[in-house]
Amino acid sequence: MIEQGYDVYIKKLDECLNNYIPPRDTWTPVDEALYKPKDLYRIPLKEAEELQFKSIKFAFNHHYTNNKFYQGFCKENNVFPDDIKTSGDLAKIPIIPDGFFKDYPRGKEFATWLGNIYTGDLPEIVIKHSAPTYDQVIDAFNDAGLIVSYSSGTSGRHTFVPRDQRTFFLSEYAIAKSVVSMIYPLWDHNMSGYLLMPNPNKTNIYAGKVCSVYFDAIRDVSVAIDREITTELIKLTMGGRRGLKSKMVRFFSKRTSQKMIDDIIKWLERHEKTKENIVFVGAPFILYFVMEKLKKQGRSFDFGGRGAVGTGGGWKIHENIRLSVADFRKEVKDVLGIPEKHCLDVYGMVEGNGWMVQCPEGHYLHVPYSYYKPIVLDDEFEQVGYGESGRFAFLDSAALSYPGFITTGDKVKLLEHCPVCDRPGPVLEPEVKRVVGTEMRGCAEEMRTMMTGDIGR
Amino acid sequence: MKEKGYIPQRTQVKLMMGGVISLGKLLIKNPGDIKILRQMEPLKERYIRPQMAYDLPKYKDGMKYCDSEEKYLRPTLYCNCRAPEVIALANELGAYKKSDREFAEAAFHFVKEKLPLEILPFNEVEVTFRRGTGTCFHLITAFIALCRAAGIKARYKMFAMNMIQAWYDSTIDVDPVVKKWYDSMGYFMLEGEGEVYVDGKWTVAHVGPKAERQAAAGISVTKFGEDSIGVWFFALPGTTMRMESLPYGLAAMVGFAKKLAPGSMERVNVSIQNQIEMGRKIIEEAGGVEAYDKQARKKKGPKQPKMDLNGRKEIIFRE
Repeated sequence: MIEQGYDVYIKKLDECLNNYIPPRDTWTPVDEALYKPKDLYRIPLKEAEELQFKSIKFAFNHHYTNNKFYQGFCKENNVFPDDIKTSGDLAKIPIIPDGFFKDYPRGKEFATWLGNIYTGDLPEIVIKHSAPTYDQVIDAFNDAGLIVSYSSGTSGRHTFVPRDQRTFFLSEYAIAKSVVSMIYPLWDHNMSGYLLMPNPNKTNIYAGKVCSVYFDAIRDVSVAIDREITTELIKLTMGGRRGLKSKMVRFFSKRTSQKMIDDIIKWLERHEKTKENIVFVGAPFILYFVMEKLKKQGRSFDFGGRGAVGTGGGWKIHENIRLSVADFRKEVKDVLGIPEKHCLDVYGMVEGNGWMVQCPEGHYLHVPYSYYKPIVLDDEFEQVGYGESGRFAFLDSAALSYPGFITTGDKVKLLEHCPVCDRPGPVLEPEVKRVVGTEMRGCAEEMRTMMTGDIGR
Repeated sequence: MKEKGYIPQRTQVKLMMGGVISLGKLLIKNPGDIKILRQMEPLKERYIRPQMAYDLPKYKDGMKYCDSEEKYLRPTLYCNCRAPEVIALANELGAYKKSDREFAEAAFHFVKEKLPLEILPFNEVEVTFRRGTGTCFHLITAFIALCRAAGIKARYKMFAMNMIQAWYDSTIDVDPVVKKWYDSMGYFMLEGEGEVYVDGKWTVAHVGPKAERQAAAGISVTKFGEDSIGVWFFALPGTTMRMESLPYGLAAMVGFAKKLAPGSMERVNVSIQNQIEMGRKIIEEAGGVEAYDKQARKKKGPKQPKMDLNGRKEIIFRE
């Protein structure tokens, strides 16, 4: 009964996201691994291993053949497509250090750099400025039909990643399917949502951009940050910037941020009176500030099982203060009345298209293992087994426009199975931290840095 | 003056002004911080300058040196490559006997490993050699002066940067005001390296940290030709500048900082010495610098792919 219910449930999602799914006769092993399974987290291990091997091998061949810099990197590491014969051989695939995507020039050379990262043929991209800014280069690429997005500008250096439309659809579909599967049976196209991120049409920050699928999955979506967010704006609103322009930006930013909190409270008041399901998706600190304001006012809501919260991007609330994911869930339960099992964190990053979503039962982060292989590396960058902590890396077959075989600066513990629920695939322990020696990052951290001053904290 | 690069470049002026305004704002908003800047807590460890790690050789008449007025070979601000101390040391390190590369490497190792970092006001390069310590700019100047004395072209490279956490912990986080200042800007306004022209190309040399400091931070012991950028610093895009001389204004800023914040400077200097001590133990435990470096390089992870910026025909620049 439940299984049948789930099939109908996910079929409805696929109908909503029909535009994201390529015609069946054009499917590659990557599409097979992502679009075919009904629940990305419940694929029998043997079947998933086969899908994973075929999709990653396909992606590796594709990048080796169509990406000059990656081919050079493979040759330098003495690894060739013919070396990848079994699942065990996936470990041989050369992995790119995450810092590579942060090491870029500026101006025209930035455009060339993006062009060189890109796998395959580019569309015609016209850049009309003699010394283009990062935003101007990105706009030129995006005007040509690509989706260049970025993240982690916390330290002044964004990570830029170029996606073609197909890769972007894969990523968007993956996040929607991953979250919707986990909150089964709550999702309904007619529910109301609040996006706690910038409007996807007004930013190229990946965490915001990828949420454009939210508007197709859900009929009625309100947006918390409905203003243009560019690299230049981030620079201006980050603390310490001087100048009239920066002051003006911060003045308006402060007003809109305070209004944002009030708008979310009004939205909650309005939906309290309905019977609709509601879902918040985005940066936890915004909801945290909403809940803090409600607590100060001595107010709370009781949305119960018709409410859900999906968070992502990091857990810093103030400078040096990190909110625990468990404390956040408790606060959501106490202030909004949304049960903890409906409060799920999502772990992902601009460089990847795999979305690790917490299960409602144990809040472990489940890996979409049919198209994405998680890897943990020790201090010497050697792969370690399940149960050991280390640096997270991944082989992401859904990255077709750039080689998605990348290390991160995140410290994780990978387990073979979830200790709490019965989903068969690997999981990460709930809280992901940064490897010592690497800078703070996270999309929510970027947003937080921009806005906490505005909100008066 | 302009030709020698004494006039600061626009980027540098912007960075320095940004730093001054940011600090000014911080102090206006937090006047109590001025007291912190000026004082060391009575019970805290005080800074004692380490003993010089070398004997400065005596200058003798007839010692060979380069007297060219060519760009990158001539004396510049605070970098008198014809000072007797510089000439004597350059000769002792093998000037005009070794190949340019061999000499540059010898000068690099000497400055990097014999002159520890100490935050203090600017001075002429011969004073640095007589004292045996200095800021990164003192040390880069020392390296450049030795190379120029040996007839090898050398120049400065400057950039604004962020740093790895371990470096932040030992140089920024040790002083509350320095920390607030760095955090409010999100980067450190100016850092530098030397570059020397050998074998037909400019080669980078970062002489700032001794091996012990690098060990304390858990990073590899960088060699001649290896950049600090990407190892413990990250240059802010668009801020990298190359120049023949230290520019006017930089010394005044450091001098002012010393007057304003002797307490902060001392705290950073104490921390640097503690780092050196900690690093010494780490290197000992690893079985020496080479063994430590081998371990650290393993931890550095996979090599970055090489990216030659080849123009792509699909990208059209139309001004």
